[in-house]
Amino acid sequence: MDALRSAITLFSYFVIPAIVVGFPMYGLYKKVPVYESFVEGAKEGFGVAVRIIPYLVAILFAIGMFRASGAMEFLVGVLNPVLSLIGFPGEVLPMAIIRPLTGSGSAGIVVDMIAQYGEDSIFVKMAATMFGSTETTFYVIAVYFGAVNIKKTRHAVPAGLTADFAAMIIAVWTVRLLFG
Amino acid sequence: MLNYIWGGLIISSLLFAVVSDVGDLTRDAYRNGQPLPVEVAFPEGYDADRRSVPVSIRIDPGTFREFYGVEAAPSEPFSGVLRQSQEGVVLRFDGGSDLPDPLSTIQVVSQSRDEELQGSLVDFAPLTGVGGSASAGLVFEEVRFVKMNAISQAALDFAETAAEISLGLIGVLALFLGLLKIAEDAGVIYALVRLVRPVLKPLFPGIPDDHPALGMIALNMAANVFGLGNAATPFGIKAMEELQTLNPSEDTATDDMVMLLAINTASVQLVPPVLLLALMGLQINQLIFAIIITTSLSLVIAITAAKLYSRLPGARASNPLLHPPIPATASGPPAPSSEGEG
Repeated sequence: MDALRSAITLFSYFVIPAIVVGFPMYGLYKKVPVYESFVEGAKEGFGVAVRIIPYLVAILFAIGMFRASGAMEFLVGVLNPVLSLIGFPGEVLPMAIIRPLTGSGSAGIVVDMIAQYGEDSIFVKMAATMFGSTETTFYVIAVYFGAVNIKKTRHAVPAGLTADFAAMIIAVWTVRLLFG
Repeated sequence: MLNYIWGGLIISSLLFAVVSDVGDLTRDAYRNGQPLPVEVAFPEGYDADRRSVPVSIRIDPGTFREFYGVEAAPSEPFSGVLRQSQEGVVLRFDGGSDLPDPLSTIQVVSQSRDEELQGSLVDFAPLTGVGGSASAGLVFEEVRFVKMNAISQAALDFAETAAEISLGLIGVLALFLGLLKIAEDAGVIYALVRLVRPVLKPLFPGIPDDHPALGMIALNMAANVFGLGNAATPFGIKAMEELQTLNPSEDTATDDMVMLLAINTASVQLVPPVLLLALMGLQINQLIFAIIITTSLSLVIAITAAKLYSRLPGARASNPLLHPPIPATASGPPAPSSEGEG
């Protein structure tokens, strides 16, 4: 496992240089006016970033308010008895709820859990697996759809949340299986 | 769906804040106006003429628990200063004191005026001389509607954060969008499309052969796999822009867009995110296998969910490819807003 991981990590060091150097080099070889092309494409960066702002403000302020209101503790209290029926430990429930909402918030939960349960705790392993194997769904929706001004997201939220929910449960089972 | 989730988040935060604040008020959780018994010691001695005297503040854990009705209690004495003026005697805790709840909350709420926790002293009758001490009552600033305060502050703070995050993306976006333009002009994207078409075509049936969208999607997925969030976002955005060129609607997502989004929220990554590495250190090595299993299975579920949900009647009714919007013309009647959200 270690060998595979170091191979992947090693390879990942070369991906960015391969793109940053490789594309212009290949462009030169193909007689593309690389500088002009680059500037032409890079122009879009500002517009895209500005386009995202309203979408990200909408999502982040609502999530920020929700977290500040203490609704999380209530949700944990309500969901805990239900989820414990399928063997989902209440200790990692805050992580499962926060993860699709905010990336920095879920990182904060990992830190809190390490302080509370210790690095070797199975709960920390579950939370870290959840953190590492899913994305901040609402952030991704705001950024990706915001960039092309898509407001009607159709079944994107249900599909994303289904995958998140499944990932949380799979994370618990996998960690139990490997470390339980 | 997003409309309801978004509205729900905002309304429920108000409700929870109100419930929590009313609870605090009825329990009088902050004991507004009541003096907390404290012991004040003067390591440098007490002098009635000095405006500010350094002190060490001791709060008896038992008294504290009983007074506030909480589990937590201060274990160590706090250092602070005593400030004397015509208006009275004020006790100020040093900044960075490790305060137990609810003192920490009182400090945060009254921070708008001062950085440190402070309260006025009552029944204060000190003895002069080095090493002297005195017991007194400490009355903090009145604290009400903590959560209401918190949610309004959070709304303002996060709006600012959102704009900062977006603007912070400008540089990286420009870099990768520039590189992508070179790749496009050099034909790299088209070569990539031919390579990944057999695998990706079934997932994105709406993309015609030889359309650059598939190449951008492939780059986005590759960047995700290697944990390169910085590059994955510009590639994903570029892929969305390519998909948007195939979309007859201006504001409604196509099935292919939802699929790309679902794949990104499932975040296939073989290299764990840098942030997690920073938090967990080398512990992460043990978890790599668990993460790969979880992320791969959740990818399968994300793809299945996106495919399945797109066949539901609600999603079909809002599909911009099945029901192209009627383009509004200057002279024609306004286009009917028939499309709802799935």
